[in-house]
Formats: sequence, C-alpha cells, structure tokens
Amino acid sequence: MKISLKWLKDYVDIDVTPEELAKQMTMLGLEIESIEQVGGDIDHIVVGQILSIEPHPDADKLVVCRTNAGREQPEQIVCGAKNMKVGDKVPTALLGATLPGGFKIERRKMRGIESCGMMCSARELGISEDHGGLMILDPDMTIGQDIKDALGIGDVVFEIEVIPNRGDWASMIGVARELAALYGKTCRIPALDLKESGEAASAVASVTIEANELCPRYIGRVLKNAKVEPSPQWLAERLIAAGQRPINNIVDITNYVLLETGHPLHAFDCEKLAGHQVVVRRASAGETINTLDGTLRSLQPEMLVIADAQRPQAVAGVMGGAESEVGEGTATILLESAVFHPISVRRTSRALGLITEASQHFQRGADPEMARYAIDRAAQLMQEIAGAEVLSGALDAYPTPAPVREVRLRYARCNQILGAEIAPDIQRQHLASLGFQAQGGDDTSVLFRIPSWRNDVTLEEDLVEEVARLFNYENIPTVLPHIQPSETVLAPQETRIRALRRFLAGEGLTELYNWTFSSPEAVQKAGLQDTCGDMVTLENPLSEKQATMRSSLIPGILANAAHNVRHGRSSMAVFEVGPVYLPEEGLPTQRQRLAILLAGSLEPKHWGRPQTPVGIFDLKGILETVFDFLGANVRFEAGTFGPMRPGQTAQLLASTTPVGWCGQVRANLLRGYDIESEIFLAEVELDLLLGREKAGRTFSAIPGFPPVLRDLAILVDRNVPAGEILKAAQQAGGPLLREADIFDIYIGKQVDANKKSIALSFVFQSETQTLTDSIIQKQTENIQKRLQKDFGATLR
Amino acid sequence: MKDELEAFAKDALEQIQLASSAQSLEEARVHYLGRKGKITEILRGLSQVPEAERPAMGQAANQVKQSLSEAIDARKAELEAVSDANEGEPADFSLPSRRRSEGHIHVINQVTEEILSIFFELGFQTATGPDIETEYYNFESLNIPADHPARDSHDTFFVKPGVVLRTHTSPVQMRVMEKMQPPVAVVVPGRVYRVDNDASHSPMFYQIEGLLVDERVSFAELKGTLMLFVHRFFGKTAKIRFRPHFFPFTEPSAEMDVSCTVCQGKGCRVCKHSGWLEVLGCGMVHPNVFRHAGYDSEKYTGFAFGLGVDRIAMLRHAIPSITHLYENDLRFLEQF
Repeated sequence: MKISLKWLKDYVDIDVTPEELAKQMTMLGLEIESIEQVGGDIDHIVVGQILSIEPHPDADKLVVCRTNAGREQPEQIVCGAKNMKVGDKVPTALLGATLPGGFKIERRKMRGIESCGMMCSARELGISEDHGGLMILDPDMTIGQDIKDALGIGDVVFEIEVIPNRGDWASMIGVARELAALYGKTCRIPALDLKESGEAASAVASVTIEANELCPRYIGRVLKNAKVEPSPQWLAERLIAAGQRPINNIVDITNYVLLETGHPLHAFDCEKLAGHQVVVRRASAGETINTLDGTLRSLQPEMLVIADAQRPQAVAGVMGGAESEVGEGTATILLESAVFHPISVRRTSRALGLITEASQHFQRGADPEMARYAIDRAAQLMQEIAGAEVLSGALDAYPTPAPVREVRLRYARCNQILGAEIAPDIQRQHLASLGFQAQGGDDTSVLFRIPSWRNDVTLEEDLVEEVARLFNYENIPTVLPHIQPSETVLAPQETRIRALRRFLAGEGLTELYNWTFSSPEAVQKAGLQDTCGDMVTLENPLSEKQATMRSSLIPGILANAAHNVRHGRSSMAVFEVGPVYLPEEGLPTQRQRLAILLAGSLEPKHWGRPQTPVGIFDLKGILETVFDFLGANVRFEAGTFGPMRPGQTAQLLASTTPVGWCGQVRANLLRGYDIESEIFLAEVELDLLLGREKAGRTFSAIPGFPPVLRDLAILVDRNVPAGEILKAAQQAGGPLLREADIFDIYIGKQVDANKKSIALSFVFQSETQTLTDSIIQKQTENIQKRLQKDFGATLR
Repeated sequence: MKDELEAFAKDALEQIQLASSAQSLEEARVHYLGRKGKITEILRGLSQVPEAERPAMGQAANQVKQSLSEAIDARKAELEAVSDANEGEPADFSLPSRRRSEGHIHVINQVTEEILSIFFELGFQTATGPDIETEYYNFESLNIPADHPARDSHDTFFVKPGVVLRTHTSPVQMRVMEKMQPPVAVVVPGRVYRVDNDASHSPMFYQIEGLLVDERVSFAELKGTLMLFVHRFFGKTAKIRFRPHFFPFTEPSAEMDVSCTVCQGKGCRVCKHSGWLEVLGCGMVHPNVFRHAGYDSEKYTGFAFGLGVDRIAMLRHAIPSITHLYENDLRFLEQF
C-alpha cells in the first residue's frame, strides 16, 4: 500500500519529519518497504508557453519550438512530440535542469539545430506513466513558475507492507487512525454531506440477499445522469501517488474511496441489470460470466455472485462483469458496497486464479460500518465531480447486524504477559485512543467494545498487544528468564550428530550440504534405481529435477563431486550428514544418513614427498574411526551394490543388520558425471548406530613387563580373507597376545599361483612376569597350529 | 707405577682433547675406558702392586678413570655443539610446509552450532521433528486454519492431501508440547521448505525455532533472551529493536531487527538504507496454540521465536547469494 504524506495530512496532523514518521510507523507495526521522495530530484523545470512550432529542416520527426519560460528571451527547443499546439503551456526544463533519475539538460545540437532545453511528458517528470506526448498544463498556470509548485508535486510516498490481520491498514483512514492514536490527535474522517434527490432508489432498483451466510451486508445506491469524463487533476494526482492509473471519474472515485476507506466498491450500469435487480446468491451449476478482464469464466455453486434477475453480473468481491460495466453511455449507475465472507472470497479468487485489489481487501475481512460510509462518500463525490443525481435512500440489506463484540482486559494479566508495569489508566488510555470503548470495569479489569474495523481482536491477548504497541515495544523491560532444567532429553542423537560432524572435519573431511530434493533421473544416473527408486513425490515441485524427496545421499554427493571435478578439483575428501525419506502410509519415514566420498589423495601436495593416491582402505579406515567414535561394532562383508565395482564393494553390517555400503564407484557410472578419476564412496544409516549408547569404558592396567615381538610368515590360498586369519590368530594367541597385525601380503612369482603369503607380527606381554622364550614359543605354535587347521596355512 | 699412571693420564687427556669427531672420541673412550681398555688393564695390574700401596694406587687409578670420563663427556658436548651448528643444510623456512588436509564443517552448520550453543547455556535443549509434516502440525495446530490469509506467505510444497514439506520449524513446538509438560525450553534446528527460488530465496533453507513455556514467562524475558543472543552472536555493540508484527501462532507478535552489520546502522544497500536488518520473528505463544497442545493458557505463558540461519550466515560472512550455500563448491566450503 502506498501512502502519500500529503494525502495523509488530510486526515491527521503530522508534525514530524518523514524520516521520523517512518520510524514511528515502523514501531507501530506498519512496516515501511520504501520511502520515495516524489519530485524531490526535479530542479530548474518551469511552466513554459509554446510561442511557435516550425518543422525541423533536416528531420521529419522533429519540430523547432520557441517557448516562453518567463525569461528575457524565448527558448529555442527541438522537440519530437506531436500532441502540442501553439499557446499550450508545458513543463519546460531549462539549461542546467535535472530530471528524475539525474538526467541533466544541456545545450546541444539536434540535427544541426541548437536546442536550449526540453519540454517534458508526465513520465519524464516522474509523476505518472503517461508518455503519450508532452504534459499539457492548465492554461491558467503562471509562466515561469516552478513546476513543483505549479503541480504541487513534491510529496513523500511510503510503501507499507500490510500484515494479514490488519486489513484496516490498507487504507488512508486506517493508517491515519493509527497515527492519531499515537500522537493523541483526532483522525479527521471527511464529513458526509450527501444531497439525495426526490425519487426513491427503491423505486428504481432492488437488492435481495439470498446467501446470508456469505454476504452479511449489501448496500446499493442509485445514481443518475453522471457525466463520465476524465477526473479532475487533484483526483488523478492522488491515484497516481498511490500507484494507480486514472481511467474516468466514476471508476476513479470508486478507486479513490477504496484507497481512502479500504472498502472496495463496484459500479454497475443499472440499465444493463435485468429487472434492475440485484440478487446476491450462489452461482448455479453451469453458469458463466464474462469478467471485466475479458475472460469467460465458469462458475461453481460454492461461488457467490451478484446477479440480476437472470444471470451473474459480478463475481462477488472479486471482479465485475463486462456486460454491466459502466461506460460513457451509462445513464443510471447502481453503486455497490457490500461485506462478503472472507473465506468465500478467498476460495473463489483462488479457484478462478483471479486475485484482485477487491479480493485482497475482502479476504482480510471488511468492516460493515465502513461499507455504509464508503458508499455515501463515493455517491457524494460522484455528485460533486460527475454531477450525478443520487436517488433517495440506500438499498441497505443488512439482515443480521454484526454482533457487538466485547473483550475483557485484566490489568495484571496484561502486565504479567508483557513483564511490564503499565498503570491501569495508561492501559485504558492506549486502547481508547485506538477506538476501543471501555464499557465499565473495576480496579482489576475493564470490558472493551471492539471497533467494527478491528475484526482481528477477539481475545484478551489481542488487547495486550494493542497496549504493548502504543506503549512501544522498546519501553518494555529486558529481563533474562530463569529456566528450569528438564529431566527429559528430547533429542540425544542431535548432540551425537554434531559431535560426528566435528570429528569428521577433524579427520580432514569437508562437509557438504545439499537440498533434499531428488528425481527418478538422478537416482537412475547414480545406479540406485533398484534400491532407492521408491521415493516421496511432490505434488507441486519447482522442476523435474526436484520432483521427489531424496531416498539416498549418493546422487547428491556424486553430483557435487562432478561439480568440483568440472572446476578443476582432483582431490576430495567430503561428507554429508542428513536425512533421506522413504514413503510410508501417512508420514514418510525420515532417516539420518552419512555419506563419505574420497578422490585423488588425502594428503595435500608437497614438494618434499609424492602424494599417495587414495584407496579403498583409506575409506575403510575412515569408516572404522567413525564406527569407533560412535561405539558401534560394524563388519565389512564383500557384496554387490548398484553404483559400485564388483569385487571392490563391501556391505556394512552391525551384527546382522545392514547399515550401509562402501566401495569404489563403477567407471561407467562415473562417465555419466564426466569423472575420470577413481571415486570411493560410502553411505551409512546413522539412526541405528546413533541409537546405541556408547559402552562405558573401564580402566585396564598398564603392563609393567617388557613386550616380546614375533613375526610369522604363512602361505594360504588366495581366496582366504586375511581378516579371518588375523581373527583366528588373535583367538589362538591367548591372553598374552597383546597385538596382532598383518605387515605384508605377497602374491607373485615367489609363491604358487593360487597362494598368497601373509606376514603377521605379534606382540606378547604379561602383566605378571617377564616372558621367557619357551612361553612365547608355545604361544606362536598354538597360533600356527590353529592357522594350519582352519586355513591350511603352511609356514613360509 | 704412580708416575706411569700420571703420564698415562696426561697423555690420555691430551688425546681426548684432540678427538675431532664423535667417532674418534668414541674410539678414544673404548681405548681408555672400555672393557679391554687401559684403565681396566691398570686396575687389573694392581695385584702386582705391594699390598701397602694398593689402596692409594687403586684410589689414584679410579680418580684417573673419573677424570677421563668427565673429559670425554665435556669433549663430547663441545663436539655436539659444533656439529649442531654446522652440520646439514640450513632449513629454508620460506618453503611451503607439510600440512595435514583440513576439514570444514558447512557454514550453515557452523553458524547453527554457534547459535544453539548460546541457547544451551541459557538452559534450552534441542528438539527435532520431521521435515515432511502433516498440515495439522504445520498449520492448524498453530492457529493457521485452512483458508487463513497467512497461508499465502507460506508457499507450500504438498506431498499428498494433508501432508506437506514443513514451511517452518514451528510444528515442532506442538510435537514437543504434546510430549512433555512445562517447563519447556527447546531450540529446534531444521530444514524448512517454501516454493520459491531466486538470488535471495532457496526452496529449502534452515531455521532455528525457540520455545520457552512455564508459569509467568513474559515478553520482557523474550526480549532479554534474544538480547543476550544478539550480544553473544553479533557482539556487544549490536543494537536491537522489537517492533510489532503478525504471526498467527503468537500474540503479541514482534519482529526483531539488529543494527546493520555492514554499515553499523548508518544505512547501506544491505539494510535498504534503514540501518536495520530483520533477523527473526517472535512473540508470546497464542492461547489457541496452547489449547491445541492441551496446556492451560491461564496457568502457563510462553514465548517462541524463529530465525533463518541462511540469512544470518550470509550476513556474518558477507556471502552475496544464497545459491553459494547449496552449490557445494569446495572453493566456497573451504573458506569457512
């Protein structure tokens, strides 16, 4: 909503600067989107009169004018406009003038003829969009007068954002009322002085409401012999200041009154209404209407229409029909001012895809009292401006007047909610200034009657907010609460996820953060169509690429890798922690997952040492540290998984429960991402692992006796998993075996083709004695025997 | 014997001084003090010495051993000082170092953690709820019935009838209140969704919701809590202001502005020349919300607030466009 300061001052005295006013409005809740100084940058432009117009000798489209701008000599100005004649007065920019936007007027030659100024259109002055030609001024204006004074431009226009519950603010009077309350002044609502003529309106037309529940009040007024013509300048200017385009006096007056009162009006050509009847009813099935925007629209029975005796003539509260539109030939106008049910208007407007000024006002709720004022105000202006004859009596159908609404305010409750000490009489005073009428009360509370324009106020809390607004939020104290700790821990897993992020970053991995949208194409591209194809689908996605909610982190993280490869990155160690969504009856299941992707090398480049390329065991290592960190026991078991290379893929198992996959991504899949390097990737279900309480740890004694080291090299079949050998050795080594490790694996010419050599190292240590050779010997023999028995291992 | 010992000692001390490397010094040590060295030989020879002289001689020999040992240690220290100073190529400290790869937490999560930790200190705890929500939790229970104009500002993604992508973290308020009785003090981080995508809007973004419910919680405490947050997060010099606003689930409602972090309140492009940045929405929990939660709104009052982490992260780090946050370009991520 655009608020012209000049116009606003019609209703309330404002003694502060525009900047100060903007601050005060902001603190009342009237959020200022922008402040525009209209005409503020116009300088050196005066009223000029055209003395002569001659063709330009070298340009068909230009003319050479001599214009009297009130100086000693007329100005010679070359001009491209066509709409002026000799004797017209026009805005004339002199040498050195600035136009809105900073354009400077200088002496220049146009096709060989010197031009010493410029005559302006209304758009060039920044006061309207009209660029049809020069702005032809009132012939009575004084030559040489500054155009800002002549036109009365030079205004401040505030663009305010009207919050959804304060429909009354979408009007000049609404804003003025608020400021009057703040300043303790009176809001001057223009007095009505409507002169009705003899004939009774009811003799000419009738109003019937058939759908009371959707239309609590409908007022019609009949006007005759209005002269439809352009609006006077003051009216046109006000509409322009409010960002509207003047059309003709009748339409402009309805728009003006809408801006002034916030109440939408509609004018029908009464002669076009069959039977001169207005019937407010629901549309019948199959009915259509040709609306003012030239569109034929099908109506549904839940839509409210304004019909004549035969057919709909307007969609109630949304848009009028073309058939009964007021035009130059209109002799009798039926003016409408009504209150329509907000939800009905909203639904109809949405169903028709037709959001209008009127529908936006009505869906916020209209004021039944203002409906009456607005129609009388408009009728009066039509009388004054368009010479209309207003027939006697309003056709006011108001079957059930809105009930009086009253809400009690307890002073102590108000102070308790606000945490302030506002004296009862100050509380009362603030509310009274806003039009809330005290209906009597006592020392502790008071009952207020709610003004008709405040349909947002229904509860005591609403009154508390009003007190707080006028008291000013800034004046409410600032106090720290005493928060009682709670025994319930609501989201313990969140703490662990935060710790996991820090841990992974500490391990040198960088966190990614993707939108949680996905698509079947993205899933297919990542080779996941068999495992993750079942997705939550959006009814109204932004695009095909975001048609579903993600079912895996893998498509996202691969796309991220591709993005970074495309921008020249070869090494990456990245992770993402976040939700995936799996379809269910009712709400989908949401699971926290972790994805890790490695490429290139984990070491930064260095002059002193070559980089080690990353491998599957780097990935396994990072996963193991994550599982250790989470206190989870997870096995890696060879398996197959869509996106990954056979033989280079392991399933992750927490005891027997699958918790994810890791492996090397297939090259032919990576080609789809234009990635040529090796990519190692894992995705892990976190919920299962986070849910486990990390086992408490108990101290074990630090050995005081020296460790003894032994190595053992064995030959086994190539397909024997090394991890199994290590595990068996650990079991066979007994309590003295502190550590067992594999320090070398050999496959090659030195051993049989189907064999591999595994070199194991052991650390033996006792907590009670220094170990002798014979004890160690016995232990290593045990290990050796076990490996021979389980795996056919021979000593190498 | 005695003279012989003295001559030996003198000669040995000279030789030790002459040793010019750690190796020759070690050779000298073995030669004089080793198991088969001179001193051992001399001490063995004591048996040949008359018994009366033996103690004196023994003592003298041990003194020699002692002084040789000290001389060797001293010479060793000298040689080490020389080699420390002269051996090897001097390191060129202007060369690039060998660092470990650094990891980075995403800037959204860094900022989220920082914000949460401030509220943890005050006694709030984390709560969470699902990203895909019922319309009841996202709207109705929060006093936004169907056809309420406030739904216009929540451009909602629909999954199926009655199920939406949550448009704010506020539904978690209701989920928490259903789960526990006051006192409730929670902060709720989470993804939220709106059908919107341009330079300043992302269809998915991040919010933190706060809720405090107890007996006699006041608007003054809301102001105090958020003032502390702003001072901790933006610094003590940051100014704040609360101005009236409308949210269906709070009454009274407010928006909180912080003095512009770019121009310090003087007015610039970022703050649209107002000197203030809109940071969060807040207010006292609406009685209808309590009614849906089954709380007695006469007994309990509460405040709630919700802030957009993306915007705060962008302000803090002067990030010009929200698209950077979700592009996952390492050149961006590694800056934070």
